[in-house]
Amino acid sequence: MLIRLAGGDVIDPVNGETGQRDIWIRDGLLIDRPEGETPDETHDVSGCIVMAGAIDIHSHIGGGNVNTARLLLPEHHAAHLPRPANTPLSNAGWSTFQTGCLYAQMGFTTVVEPAMAPSAALHTHLELADIPIIDKATLAILGNDDFTLSLLRDAKSSSMLDDYVAWIIGSSRALGVKVINAGAAASFKENVRSFSFDDMVPEYGVSSRNIVKSLQASVTRLGIPHPLHVHANNLGIAGSADTAAATIAATEGVPMHLAHLQFYGYGIEGKRKFSSEAARLAELVNGNPDVTIDIGQVMFGQTVTISSDVMRQFTAIGNANPKKTVIIDGDGNSSGGIVPYRYRQDYYGSLQWAVGLELFLLITDPWRVFFTTDHPNGAPFTAYPELFELLMSSDARDAKSTELNPSALELTTLASVRREYTFEEIAIMTRAAPARLLGLKDRGHLGPGAIADVAVYRRSKDIAKMFREAALVFKNGELVVKNGKVTHYRWGKALRLNPPPDKAMIKRMKDYHDERYGLSLDWFTFPDTAIARDDPFAEVPCNS
Amino acid sequence: MSVAWIGSQPVPLMDAIQKAAKLLASSHCPVFSLDADVHGTRSTIALAERLGGAFDHVYGETLAREVALFTDNGGMFTTPGEARRRSSLIVLVGEIPAPHHDMLLAWSNTQPDLGDGGQRAWFHIGGAAPASRATRQFNRQLKTVPITGGDLPLSAVLAGLRARLQGRQVTSPLANVDRLGAALNKSQFPVFVFSSTSGEAAGLAMLQGLIADLNRKGRASSVFLPADDDAWGTALTSLWMTGFPPRTGFANSLPSYDPVRWDTQRMVRDKEADLHVWVSARGEMPPKGRKIKLISLSRAEAPTANATVTIAVGKAGRDHDGVAYSSRIGTFQALAATERSSLPSVSSIVQQLARALPGRQDLPC
Repeated sequence: MLIRLAGGDVIDPVNGETGQRDIWIRDGLLIDRPEGETPDETHDVSGCIVMAGAIDIHSHIGGGNVNTARLLLPEHHAAHLPRPANTPLSNAGWSTFQTGCLYAQMGFTTVVEPAMAPSAALHTHLELADIPIIDKATLAILGNDDFTLSLLRDAKSSSMLDDYVAWIIGSSRALGVKVINAGAAASFKENVRSFSFDDMVPEYGVSSRNIVKSLQASVTRLGIPHPLHVHANNLGIAGSADTAAATIAATEGVPMHLAHLQFYGYGIEGKRKFSSEAARLAELVNGNPDVTIDIGQVMFGQTVTISSDVMRQFTAIGNANPKKTVIIDGDGNSSGGIVPYRYRQDYYGSLQWAVGLELFLLITDPWRVFFTTDHPNGAPFTAYPELFELLMSSDARDAKSTELNPSALELTTLASVRREYTFEEIAIMTRAAPARLLGLKDRGHLGPGAIADVAVYRRSKDIAKMFREAALVFKNGELVVKNGKVTHYRWGKALRLNPPPDKAMIKRMKDYHDERYGLSLDWFTFPDTAIARDDPFAEVPCNS
Repeated sequence: MSVAWIGSQPVPLMDAIQKAAKLLASSHCPVFSLDADVHGTRSTIALAERLGGAFDHVYGETLAREVALFTDNGGMFTTPGEARRRSSLIVLVGEIPAPHHDMLLAWSNTQPDLGDGGQRAWFHIGGAAPASRATRQFNRQLKTVPITGGDLPLSAVLAGLRARLQGRQVTSPLANVDRLGAALNKSQFPVFVFSSTSGEAAGLAMLQGLIADLNRKGRASSVFLPADDDAWGTALTSLWMTGFPPRTGFANSLPSYDPVRWDTQRMVRDKEADLHVWVSARGEMPPKGRKIKLISLSRAEAPTANATVTIAVGKAGRDHDGVAYSSRIGTFQALAATERSSLPSVSSIVQQLARALPGRQDLPC
């Protein structure tokens, strides 16, 4: 099948400047214009914006904690409207099926679930396999489990830690490693209520910094393309900017990704002792080329916060809306908390909203700042179109600001920042840069050889409408969305690394599970066939 | 051996599929009572959605109570693995279903290697209702210290215990409450183990309140053990597929969750449905005396009584590979067949039913 997208305004920062040209697709891949061949299918996209399919690097779309949130909140579905129609189970509330459809409609073709507990990897992958259309990937959580902490306490060799990380990555089918408030979940079980970067985990005598630095080094040695993905300490509290600053300073020449930086952008100035430190953090990020960040933008309305940072979630119980929560002290890295929350246009909500936008606008390099709401923690991903509009239009920001708490906004620089994202910057931030960050060379651009993930948007003054309803979306060369509606179902893959496991580590894991849990390792591992879809995984190579 | 029947007559499988598909296609309100592994559940829910039907688990009544623990209250939980490794104080609450006894007995032969590492102590909170023989024997094996309150039901015992632990006066004395208080003070991570069979919803909400109290200054948590692992697995699968737990219907194509309206066995009893699809990979039989048409997919060697169509299916982990929830690990587990047989999986039969319907479309799972 030869497909031609004719006459679109192609925005492809990886392969050249913006300009009008045709895009050619054959057998799921992008190709150069074939000489002398007639396309089987031509789509006139003149006047439209054509980009690669978008990639979301941090969105909680599946797994045990997400599913527990569904269980806690059957009334929560309205937050995920609007709903697509005429596709199997796509009307099905806050579901895996709807997740794939809604992402595809916006032109997203790859999404990373950033918090997979390795011990519950099968559950996560079962859910991801029921998300249609898009490709998925996961980051395996490490840093709060007894095995890692014991290795660090006992000063075992770095190669043993590498073998363990490689085994976790391989057996859980992950694309990278995430550390979540390193050491805090383990400390919380010992009744520790706050935990900073240089605090020690009781019993182990290992600091959060040591955990982060050790895993960061291991990820680098193993050639895992995505840098260690760090959910830092002290999320959400006034003064957390100091923690973020300390974490940024700890990169020490090695790449690190800081997740949802907005939730750390808070100082202690003002009458309420809650102010914006976004400008300071943006300056730190701008000055440290080893750091990449995503935002975790807050948008207003009802949502539910879902996090494996159980210590933080426990402290947030008092703010739950509605007043019901689930707190899980799981084994290893499977802890978490589910706390429903409504972002109001009050002082605190207004400040959080502004902090996120300040970070977006003050961090100058679109290759190092990533577009997220930390779905659903800052807002459901369905709020993305409105967020694109806020980034691309200072008038839209001004208009929204008039509805918000003025004393909060006065403590920010937002009103003075007139930057507007260009389409090229949007394409970098949501396509090219995520692909590079994750090591996905086959996507994020429109060059020959890339998989044919293509999003076509009809130009409109209404930026949110434009990004909410893509005119056309192709996934692996298959037309899946037309005029903002899903027209075709397909099943994507979960992208994974597959480092070879060390035989001695496998034996250690068998002995460990047998001794500590009284169960064989088979209880915690699974064959690909357990997913019950054809070829559910696709391998991404590690760096050599 | 026959695997398909129309009425009581053995027929080729495809004849039974065609007959069942006709019944499904002509039904105005089909309801599905299911008991299968994850993949059987996925297919059955997808078929219910296509037909605008409703679904529930075979053990829907118990499962609905378990779901309500979360939808109404939430709580603080830990996993069996963490409790085994960390907790030096286990407090059993009410009746613990027999399938979980082996796991708890295994804990009693170990000592925690994390946390305070103290000698593990066992208590049991019970109400006035007489415990089953199995529970009495189980408690004897574990040497649990009983917390009881004479004629008080479990919920009142929990309320009294919560008040006492907060230093308040209670009018009804509770046995061994001071011993439990001392044990709670000593243990760094006490764990309360309960099930939906442990007591009424109000009592279990009180239990979570008690745990919340303990977490104001110290730590405590609970292990929730489902009455039936497969039913809990169905609930989790339903949640990611539809956003809702079972007792969900697809009237007007939109899913709606209503634990009363979509109680499928009530719908069958009250003739609100015109077709009942019974799916039991364990081979259990539907309740007798129902007057509407019945399709039975059951692990059986004979036709189901009063079924218009019966198709024999296998059980995941026995006849074929599959995936099921395991409360031993608090998540899903891949199951390998232990006695591989030719019996088809629920999923494969449901897929064939879907392809035999008008439109002949595959299900999405």
